[in-house]
Amino acid sequence: MTNFKEFSYKPEDHESEGASNSYLMSLVAIIVGLPLPIVNLVASLIFYLSNRKSTYFIRWHCTQAFLAQFFTFFINSFGFWWTISVVFTEEPVTTNFIAYLIAVAILNLIEFIFTIYTAIQTRKGIHVEWWFYGTLTNLICKP
Amino acid sequence: MKKLLFQGLTIVLFFLGTWFILAQINWVKVFMVEEVTNKTEQELGSLFLKVYEESENENQNPEVEALIDKMVSEICKANQIDKEKIKVHVFDKDEINAFALPDGHLIIYSDLILNSDNQEELAGVICHEIAHIQLNHVMKKLVKEIGLSVLISISTGGTGAEITQQAAKTLSSSAFDRSLEKEADLAAVDYLVNAKLNPKPFADFLYKLSDNEDGIPSYLTWLETHPDSKERATYILEYSEDKLSDFKPILSIQDWEKLKELLREN
Repeated sequence: MTNFKEFSYKPEDHESEGASNSYLMSLVAIIVGLPLPIVNLVASLIFYLSNRKSTYFIRWHCTQAFLAQFFTFFINSFGFWWTISVVFTEEPVTTNFIAYLIAVAILNLIEFIFTIYTAIQTRKGIHVEWWFYGTLTNLICKP
Repeated sequence: MKKLLFQGLTIVLFFLGTWFILAQINWVKVFMVEEVTNKTEQELGSLFLKVYEESENENQNPEVEALIDKMVSEICKANQIDKEKIKVHVFDKDEINAFALPDGHLIIYSDLILNSDNQEELAGVICHEIAHIQLNHVMKKLVKEIGLSVLISISTGGTGAEITQQAAKTLSSSAFDRSLEKEADLAAVDYLVNAKLNPKPFADFLYKLSDNEDGIPSYLTWLETHPDSKERATYILEYSEDKLSDFKPILSIQDWEKLKELLREN
């Protein structure tokens, strides 16, 4: 799921802190945003936009953190609105619905663990690329 | 780019695979969803009935009970409906109304019976309310108007008496969705025909009520909660057209008159 790679340069301490913060930001937003999945996406987007002009290392990690939130957002939103329709409309509680919620919980838990792990590593100045999100970030974020 | 697509696809497949594998377990059974739902409905039915029993006067005359029960039993028998599921209560009240509560409680006000010109009109309204019960409209309406969390809270005693009262009154004083009403009307016609009762008087009853629609007297609650009577009467007649056959009333004329007489005495 994660890949350690040499970054194109050795980040300074303030850069490691900024990059690490982008993951911490999405973690805090997950806690605050539950159960509304839009909150963490918006928080990550604000952090991403405010760091657009930062150094490459910070920008790279802000982008990766944002992209991870972006894709989870769709999966969480679907689960959120499905739950709303179960609670407030005639939509029945089905095995598929419960299975979806458990799958979403597993996905979010995995992401949560990787986010904490990546926040710690980037704070140490270690560059961590996630499976898929890292590859996508390399395409989007240029030095 | 190939690498990116492969990785993206892997994540999507991982998620869908997890969902698919988890969906093989019967979570509805694991979490006893049906048991909880049925228990909630039973509790709500008892609580709401209590609200009406405390504020209104239930007719305890065994003859009235027997006659109404005869009608409901025949309708249920002809439509393979479990009679035990339908619990009929007649309340002495000068309001033309009938409504269903959760867990199959069917409440009929005496003025509805007294204002029915014949037993087929009353049977039409009874069938309409039984259809609401059979099609699970009562719980659907409550969930929509009050919300599942509040309903569960009411059933477990987590809310005050006032909220319970308001929730109970929702069922007697507000309308179902148009689509649910139509569904119940058409099911009622089927129930009537199966029980060899003429559905035309049910439409007549709606026409009769709709004549008063512009200046609805306050006691005509069934009409207030069932709007567009003329339109409903029209589609009931259209739907019944090819279903006409040999009709046979459930109660004799004497029994029908006796029922009204007994209710007038109160």
